[in-house]
Amino acid sequence: MKRIVLVAMLILSVMALGSTSMAQDEGPEFIELGASIPLSGRYAGPAIQVDRGYAMAIEDINEAGGVYVAEYDRQIPLNLTVLDDESDPVKAVENLEDLYSNEDVVVYLGGFGSDMHAAASAVGEVNATPYIGVAFALWDVHQQGFEYLFSPFPKSPELSTAMFEMLSSIEDGPTRVGIIAESTDWGLELTDFWTADAEEFGFEIVAVEEYAPGTQDFSDIILAMQDAEVEIMLSLPNPPDGIALATQMAELDWAPAFSNIIRAPDAPTWIQALGANGDFVAFMPGWHNAMAFEGVDALNEAHVEMMGRPSDPLVGPSYATVQIVAAAIEAAGTLDRDAIRDAIAATELDTVIGTVTFNEDGTGNVPVAILQYQNGTPELVWPAEFATADLVYPAPAFADREPIGGDE
Amino acid sequence: MFNWKNGSLLVVLVGFIVLPFLPFGGKDNLTLLISLFLLASMASSWNILGGYVGHINLGHGAFFGIGSLVTRALWLEYELPILIALAAGALVAAIAALIVGAPALRLRGTYFAIGTLALAEAMRLTVGNVLPRVSRLPGPALRSYDIVPRYYLALAVLAVIVIFTLWLNRSKLGLGMMAVREDEEAARSIGVNVFLHSILAFVMSAFFAGLAGGAFAYFHVGYYPNYTFGPIWTFDAVIIAYVGGVGTPFGPLIGAIFFVLVRDILSANLVNVHLIIFGIVFILIVLLLPGGFTELIDRIRQYVMPDTEPDTGT
Repeated sequence: MKRIVLVAMLILSVMALGSTSMAQDEGPEFIELGASIPLSGRYAGPAIQVDRGYAMAIEDINEAGGVYVAEYDRQIPLNLTVLDDESDPVKAVENLEDLYSNEDVVVYLGGFGSDMHAAASAVGEVNATPYIGVAFALWDVHQQGFEYLFSPFPKSPELSTAMFEMLSSIEDGPTRVGIIAESTDWGLELTDFWTADAEEFGFEIVAVEEYAPGTQDFSDIILAMQDAEVEIMLSLPNPPDGIALATQMAELDWAPAFSNIIRAPDAPTWIQALGANGDFVAFMPGWHNAMAFEGVDALNEAHVEMMGRPSDPLVGPSYATVQIVAAAIEAAGTLDRDAIRDAIAATELDTVIGTVTFNEDGTGNVPVAILQYQNGTPELVWPAEFATADLVYPAPAFADREPIGGDE
Repeated sequence: MFNWKNGSLLVVLVGFIVLPFLPFGGKDNLTLLISLFLLASMASSWNILGGYVGHINLGHGAFFGIGSLVTRALWLEYELPILIALAAGALVAAIAALIVGAPALRLRGTYFAIGTLALAEAMRLTVGNVLPRVSRLPGPALRSYDIVPRYYLALAVLAVIVIFTLWLNRSKLGLGMMAVREDEEAARSIGVNVFLHSILAFVMSAFFAGLAGGAFAYFHVGYYPNYTFGPIWTFDAVIIAYVGGVGTPFGPLIGAIFFVLVRDILSANLVNVHLIIFGIVFILIVLLLPGGFTELIDRIRQYVMPDTEPDTGT
């Protein structure tokens, strides 16, 4: 009898151990991802696009069963925990520590805004957790020896080069460049790249005028540009400054043959505030829904269903970020953060923003989109193979412009 | 003198000291507590001028900014030990307050509040223009980043401010300040030097804000230098002081705990509307409890133990 009991206990023990190891082999219920996104505060408007892009990608991946993880030999769905940092970098750091300690996230997805990324990406480094973010073009962040920071988004060098490549393609095009430089880290960084690229592509810098963010009177700067006979105006204002600049350009009747204004025209408020005076400005929001890469049509359809319009500019890069993370986890075959980091670094993936690879500094190699407002509509004018319209060059004088829509 | 209040304070302090060695002393909790200590330090330091003397300084964040700027520069760029950098940052903030305070304290009431707010905004814009690049720890330093010494530094800064405020609350200097707050003419008539008490409070308030700014500079991994000059550091401190109990030594501590907990609970559970609810909660507290939570605690204590003294410090 004793022997029977002993054997029974042994069998039960083996079964218990077996079931434990089976439970361990099944892995977690979800692959935990975490993001601190400014859903309120000064960045809330554009940051919501980032949140939407992540959510759409996760929904699509989970509908297909999740991500295959070789270590557990099964597909595991993704779970993204989003915390609102209220556009405050201190709160962002708190959130990311919370996500690391309590949600056990294996990858951080980025939020929005250079200052937020500067704080948040550093937490990725502290916790040895991959941090992958879009919606910031500052290149300098990537030059600090970070190992866990990745960004599949065009940076200042690519923005500058793409612009001069497009300008070089214009027959008998303009050559005299004027830079209206914002005295911020991104503004000064881009000014350096514009200056270097202008020389390399055979353009001439004839005026550089610096201003502080919050400037309301650009008239002296505009007059200096006029005096220097600037044909190509390059600038990087925030939205209020950009609208003030464009308004005063119209008041002083200075319409350079070509204007590239980065950042300020990204929001629809540009045309709402400026009307025809905001037309013919070239801008670079990072992506356009007419770039017909694999999956863009489906993404646009889903976005139309959700929002009544094709994908917003930041939805594509955010969606691609999740695609990259999912592919990296699958390639790593494990949820180990370092293995995932190495797999992200080795990425070569077709996404909705094109084929993405990463450089050693974590910057992504991604196509750059140049858009131009034409009759109030943002048209994709570069790269040429995806263009929805030809570049309008030279820009007509303000007095010769038709009201937007032609019905006013 | 040892009493139940000092004993409780000591127990809490010991609890915070041993926390990093306890199971729930993880990085997330330490990070949250650093924010709590910094906010409590800002509210307590604001309270020295705003609560004890009655001058509403809406430019308090500027001294936090000066402290952080000087500390960060000396620590990161000149590689001075953090404690020396911290002391230098606080000292520069105090000197700035002395220079600014002499003319600013000639203003009264709303004019003083607006004047200090304008000064802080001017400093924020200037620092943003002069130092536009983000200040961050380099990658290798981040990979060896340890939160525990940052936690202890923030705790030490708060402890120093609280101990100073407790001393001030019972000192001749503190009584003089409270006399100025209640009635300047009456204070003058009994021999209190109104200007001297005001400027001393301003300088001490700025010194401690500079200390808190230095602790922030040591803690935070990457931020724009003008961020620490932002009005949020002032307004959070003012809200915390009023909610906790302005003019009391413990009010800012109680206010900070409430502020951080409510903010985090609301933002985690009501993502879209948490700021509105947060605002409504604070308005209700200020309306229903003009003396803040300290008043509520006093009422409860006097109800339970009718013979005890109120803790208002007034």
